[in-house]
Amino acid sequence: MKNNLIKPSRFILSTLLLFILLPRIAFADGFEQLRRNSAGIKTVQARFVQKKQMKILAKPLISEGRFFYAAPDSLRWEYLKPLRSVVLSGKGGTKRYIMSGGKMVEDKSGGVKAMGIVLGEITNWMSGKFDKNPSFHAILKEGTNTLITLIPTEQNMAGMIEKIEISLVKKTMAVKSVKIIEGKNAATIIDFSNVEINKVINNSVFQDVE
Amino acid sequence: MKSIRLLILTVLLLISCQTLPVIKPVTLQPETKALVCPVCPSPFLKEPYRLVHIIEAQVAGETMGTLIGITLINPSTRFVSCAMMTAEGMVLLEVEASPALKLIRALPPFDSRDFAQNMIEDIRLIFLTPEGKITTKGSLADGAEICRWQTGSGGFIDVIARQPEAFEINRYAASGDWKRKIKLKHSAENLYQNIELTAKDASNYSLVMTLIESEPAESELQPGNQGLLNNEENCGR
Repeated sequence: MKNNLIKPSRFILSTLLLFILLPRIAFADGFEQLRRNSAGIKTVQARFVQKKQMKILAKPLISEGRFFYAAPDSLRWEYLKPLRSVVLSGKGGTKRYIMSGGKMVEDKSGGVKAMGIVLGEITNWMSGKFDKNPSFHAILKEGTNTLITLIPTEQNMAGMIEKIEISLVKKTMAVKSVKIIEGKNAATIIDFSNVEINKVINNSVFQDVE
Repeated sequence: MKSIRLLILTVLLLISCQTLPVIKPVTLQPETKALVCPVCPSPFLKEPYRLVHIIEAQVAGETMGTLIGITLINPSTRFVSCAMMTAEGMVLLEVEASPALKLIRALPPFDSRDFAQNMIEDIRLIFLTPEGKITTKGSLADGAEICRWQTGSGGFIDVIARQPEAFEINRYAASGDWKRKIKLKHSAENLYQNIELTAKDASNYSLVMTLIESEPAESELQPGNQGLLNNEENCGR
């Protein structure tokens, strides 16, 4: 039991970090354009509401949180409720904290190391090489909204994730929502709001858990 | 120093060898049995329910991690469905037992069938009236009301009511060694507000569960008899 508890897989972290990358996608008309635009984004911050749909749930389980990004590699992905957790990533490495016994406790499981590995891949995306990641095949589709579909290419994701759909508001190219389809009866939908680009973010946001 | 070590060792030995507590049985007069038949503590579900808890796992008092657990239970059929997910919403384990175990989704390190089976058994222990026969009713030395079931496998389950608002459910092996200790500290709104489970297995661990949401699931799961123990029928032993 001891070793069976709370060791987020690399896949989970990959998925999480895909969300964080969304702002990079927001200005892309195409992948070449994405690369050109990537240099212009210095910071991103937003609120989000996550709806978890599963067969076992009659209604979605709602989580709320916020995220912050500052170029080139500072990230904060935080859930405020129902279970508070914070992922901080930057030059000092990657750390995950979770509320336990009324205080934030660092998660020292192997999953955090895995997160560091994943962030190495993410760095490619940060430099605009979004469609170069071999783990996902990316498709851009223009319509009422811009839709980016990410399809896993690696066999080890089979049964865990079918695809990820990222919807962008065409007019502003701001991220509207992300839908992670895990299977026939399970999906995670994240709706973003209050998206702010290139607004100054205090460094402490990426360092302090509280 | 030696004596302190000896004392600690003795205490640990006593704890590890803790066996079935002595029950002072209730004495019933045959002619008045129907009137004074004691009611067993019954902190169990009466109808199909869905519960969402934050589950904190601890080993040796140290937190190993925290997950969100969703449980769907029908007491009349003993159907159990449950899922565990990270705070980020990634489902690590989803399993059904009706009663056959069905792994719907199981990601490492939760991809063991034994792990899923143990989890289902723990859920049933917490939320469902024990299967088996009541062998003893009475009180403990501290006055707490208790009923003892003997299960089909020969083990025992004690259900204890401690006033004002706490229940305990303890499972013992046939040898009398304890295997699970569960404490329910309920709120005015919900019996399952706070649950503490301590397990003695190959590795000892404890789970602290805090309720986030709960709702009846009558429309989703077929209602039958409500699954609650009929205390009068089980009064005579």
